[in-house]
Amino acid sequence: MTLTTIVRPDADAAAAAVPASSAEAVMAIDARKTYGTGDAAVHALDGVTVGFGAGALTAIMGPSGSGKSTLLHCLAGLDTLTDGTVLLGGTDLGVLREKELTRVRRDRIGFVFQSFNLVPTLTAEENITLPLDLARRDVDQAWFDELVDVVGLRTRLGHRPAELSGGQQQRVAVARALVSRPEVVFADEPTGNLDSRAGAEVLALLRRAVREFGQTVVMVTHDAVAASYADRIVFLADGRTVGELIDPEPEAVLDQMKRISR
Amino acid sequence: MFKTTIRNLMAHRVRLLAAALSVVLGVALMAGTFVLTDTVGAAFDELYASVGVGTDAVVRADHAVEGQGEVQRPPVDAALADQLRSVPGVARIEGTVQGYAQFVGRDGKAIGRPGQGPPTLGLNWPSDPRLNPFTLVDGRAPDAPDQMVIDRASARTGGFALGDTVTVLTKDAPRSMVVVGIVTFGGADSPLGASIALFTTTTAQALVGTPGRFDGFSVVAAPGTDQETLVANLRRVLPPGTEAITGAAATAEQQAASRKGLAFFSTFLLAFALIAMFVGSFIIANSFAITVAQRTRELGLLRALGAGRAQVRRAVLAEAAVLGSVASAVGVGAGIGAALGLEALLNAAGFEVPARGLVLQPRSLVAAGVVGWLVTLASALLPARRAGRLSPVTALRDVDLDSTGGSRRRLVLGGAVTTIGLAVLGRGLVAGGDAAAGAVGLGAAVTFVGVAVLAPLLAPPVGRVIGAPLAAIGITGRLAQANGVRNPRRTAATASALMVGVALVACITVFAASGKASLDRVIDDSFRSDLVIDSGARGFGGLSPALATELARVPEVAEVVRVRLARAEVAGAPTMLVALDPAGASRVADVGVQQGAIEALDAHSIAVSTSAATAKGWHLGDTVPVTFASGRQDLRIVAVYANRNVAGDQFIAIAAQEAYDMRLLDAQLYLRYHPGADPAAARRAVDAATAAYPTASAQDLTGFKAERARPIDQMLALIYALLLLAVLIAVIGIANTTALSVHERTREIGLLRAVGMSRRQLRATVRKEAMIVALFGATLGLAVGVGFGWALVRALASQGITELRLPMAPLAVVVVLAGLSGLVAGAGPARRGARLDILRAVRSD
Ligand SMILES: Nc1ncnc2c1ncn2[C@@H]1O[C@H](COP(=O)(O)OP(=O)(O)O)[C@@H](O)[C@H]1O
Ligand SMILES: [Mg+2]
Repeated sequence: MTLTTIVRPDADAAAAAVPASSAEAVMAIDARKTYGTGDAAVHALDGVTVGFGAGALTAIMGPSGSGKSTLLHCLAGLDTLTDGTVLLGGTDLGVLREKELTRVRRDRIGFVFQSFNLVPTLTAEENITLPLDLARRDVDQAWFDELVDVVGLRTRLGHRPAELSGGQQQRVAVARALVSRPEVVFADEPTGNLDSRAGAEVLALLRRAVREFGQTVVMVTHDAVAASYADRIVFLADGRTVGELIDPEPEAVLDQMKRISR
Repeated sequence: MFKTTIRNLMAHRVRLLAAALSVVLGVALMAGTFVLTDTVGAAFDELYASVGVGTDAVVRADHAVEGQGEVQRPPVDAALADQLRSVPGVARIEGTVQGYAQFVGRDGKAIGRPGQGPPTLGLNWPSDPRLNPFTLVDGRAPDAPDQMVIDRASARTGGFALGDTVTVLTKDAPRSMVVVGIVTFGGADSPLGASIALFTTTTAQALVGTPGRFDGFSVVAAPGTDQETLVANLRRVLPPGTEAITGAAATAEQQAASRKGLAFFSTFLLAFALIAMFVGSFIIANSFAITVAQRTRELGLLRALGAGRAQVRRAVLAEAAVLGSVASAVGVGAGIGAALGLEALLNAAGFEVPARGLVLQPRSLVAAGVVGWLVTLASALLPARRAGRLSPVTALRDVDLDSTGGSRRRLVLGGAVTTIGLAVLGRGLVAGGDAAAGAVGLGAAVTFVGVAVLAPLLAPPVGRVIGAPLAAIGITGRLAQANGVRNPRRTAATASALMVGVALVACITVFAASGKASLDRVIDDSFRSDLVIDSGARGFGGLSPALATELARVPEVAEVVRVRLARAEVAGAPTMLVALDPAGASRVADVGVQQGAIEALDAHSIAVSTSAATAKGWHLGDTVPVTFASGRQDLRIVAVYANRNVAGDQFIAIAAQEAYDMRLLDAQLYLRYHPGADPAAARRAVDAATAAYPTASAQDLTGFKAERARPIDQMLALIYALLLLAVLIAVIGIANTTALSVHERTREIGLLRAVGMSRRQLRATVRKEAMIVALFGATLGLAVGVGFGWALVRALASQGITELRLPMAPLAVVVVLAGLSGLVAGAGPARRGARLDILRAVRSD
């Protein structure tokens, strides 16, 4: 595996032509998100243009407070930009009304949070099928069975989240994110609360989804080991993209992180 | 300390709003009832005092019978006046006559319904202005047999003016009278809504009294003679069987009678205020339990810093005390407003409440406020105790809000309390009578508490079953099913409040349906007449005997059996004694004669039921002491019958009633056609005969059944309306608990929204959750209420409630309405939940 480091200044990224959208499952164009006004204004996203290739696992890295979560939320239709555009497939999320946005989240996007991913009153199985049930869509039983086997929860389906370990809970969350075969799965530090072994299982799972099912996954992490599972890493600092790595190795990731957090 | 209390209250103000509101509503009804009672009572007192001011003494018969809230005295000989006129100190003496007289409107319908509302009276015109409580506002006094003076309220409702000819119904045949004057009564258009016809004395005696007799005499004292001296002088010459009392005493008697009527009415309303407060106590207890649970860490920290148990307990109670004071004060204020509303309602219903402004007695207002305050404090006792028991380490531990622990203890305790409640209730029901009402109420309340203690154990299984159909339909129902019973203790407390209202509704629904079925059963089994003519009168008024005579002349009619009611004491017990025509009685109703014969009844005899005979040790041929207004008679038992549900435990012949009761009006007429008569033609002939008697409503037995059921339905509607307050408070409680659930589940709601739940779906989830809580309450209420209804019906079997009916349709409506009320209660919290920021869920870590 070759180590390729391409560090591009921000201006270049902004100036770059809009990438061929067919290859990108989701992209942000000159995305800005500002909290507060005047002196108190915080530019969580300060003109981010980035695309995420279909069928790839992309990691977003950066120091704490660099805008990773904000970017992810805006890409996933959970939050709206102050300025700029998010395109999911061909859809401009910025022009959608609340109802349509909800439908996008339900049918076209999967989400894995760091914690509190599951509805405590529902069983693992019910949590997995939740997006389909909300859409009143039938469960594709073969797909469901395959997923359950992939995440290895066959014997745990009737259990409630409180009866599952942290790793099991995250794997249920991954299964839920995949069940509706969304265009993109977003994961915000999905292994943040897990020990390394459980974390590795979840990461392996995400990568398997990409490899075997051609799933597009965008994952925020600040763990270099986690990021090394990715096909590509996008680095953020102070609300801007500050570089990327293709097919990264852990050492290169650490190296890059050190550089941008200076 | 006080500052902290206030700060905590303010911090939890939304949560405690429901508690405060339930106190306000209960106190408002109580204070409103007090204020209205005080106001109306004072108005009546003043009214009687002002109209009786010219009367210095009253002479009348010294014996009376009481029944249905009225005192009946026999009339005295008119000649007594001549004897008394020469008594020292007597300036003026006049006889009084009062009886039934009812106007017929221009539309041919009778004005007023003396059986249900204010009476319709006919009186003689007092010629001495000092003895005349009425004030002529138009026209003049009557001075001919075809003239009368009427009250201004009747003139208004009937559209009658001076010179108009108005038909008047009395014990005589309907007759036309000319209106020659219009009067008011002590400032009101009519005395308490009664309609008034004033005739010349001779006419009044003929139409509404007894010729040659007066009900009594009013006396004016000569100048310089005080009331006591006058009465003493009169007593010296009065014949046996008569008495004299001072005008002041007569006024006091009337005031006491009106107060007694009011007391009945206010007790009725107060019962519902207490029910509302009882329901409110569940909401209050639940609200405080929740605030304590939410402050577990804070309170634990206080304990860790050295606060004693008692201090923590007192802190919670102090909050309850402040909340209770504020809410009770607001409730008293609202009650004053409610009194105005109730007064307007009474006036709209035709009771002329003299307008004089509200009477605000500090005693009453304080009483209502203190009750509300005490209820609040008592309801907070348990949560305060729980707060005191928190151990200091709870501050350092992550606590689960719901600790349903000790379910075995709960089962034993709840079971014991329920059993005690049922035992007290059962004793009260078996004992019967007025004193037992308290035991029944207490037993019911204790039973409710017992079931509420058990409810947390029932909530999960029952809630799951209730939610199952919703869960089967879709994910929102599935989530609602789970959330509805997520916190069993909270769900149980919330549902228990609704349980009380639903149980009372279910109980009286069962009771009323059983009562109607029992009436139907009696009519089906025992009545054989082709037609019943019912005056609607029960103890006052009725049909002129002229109607029975006219009907007997109708060719198709074979027989007319008259039924009257007489106030009497049978072996010391006051009753409305049925009197009937013995000859045809057996052919229109079957009372199941066991010994003797109904036909043997005459002016000196009586028929008694087997149960009365057994209870009193009477046998055929024995005599029974019966006291009528005219005095005591010993009546011989000539028949013993089995079926007491037709005419009660005893009845007499009309001949006896005319001799001793001296009232001539018929309450009901039972008609039989000739065997060959064409029923349609017969009916037409009867209708033609009754056309001039608008209070006579002719009905076949089917119609008669419906008519008998109507007052039950009206009572039912009134009780439903009053129970609505209790249900409203319970629904507020459901809204409160649901709002809290939404508040506590901010993250979960955000998660659901993030994975694609629409706002509409979220709202549906929350509403359905509230509905499940409501339906759980309704289920408990239905179970308890049907049980109560069953017990009540069984206990009253000997009073003629022989049939038990569980009316499925109305009970189903109750459940559906409870479910809908849950949906409504959940609507507000649902909307708030749908507006929650999705990212709050994702971010807050
Ligand atoms: N709701 C908010 N209000 C104000 N500032 C916010 C809000 N959310 C995020 N921020 C700010 O935006 C910046 C980026 O935050 P975030 O995207 O959470 O960073 P990361 O996930 O990379 O740690 C931070 O400075 C943070 O303080
Ligand atoms: Mg973050």
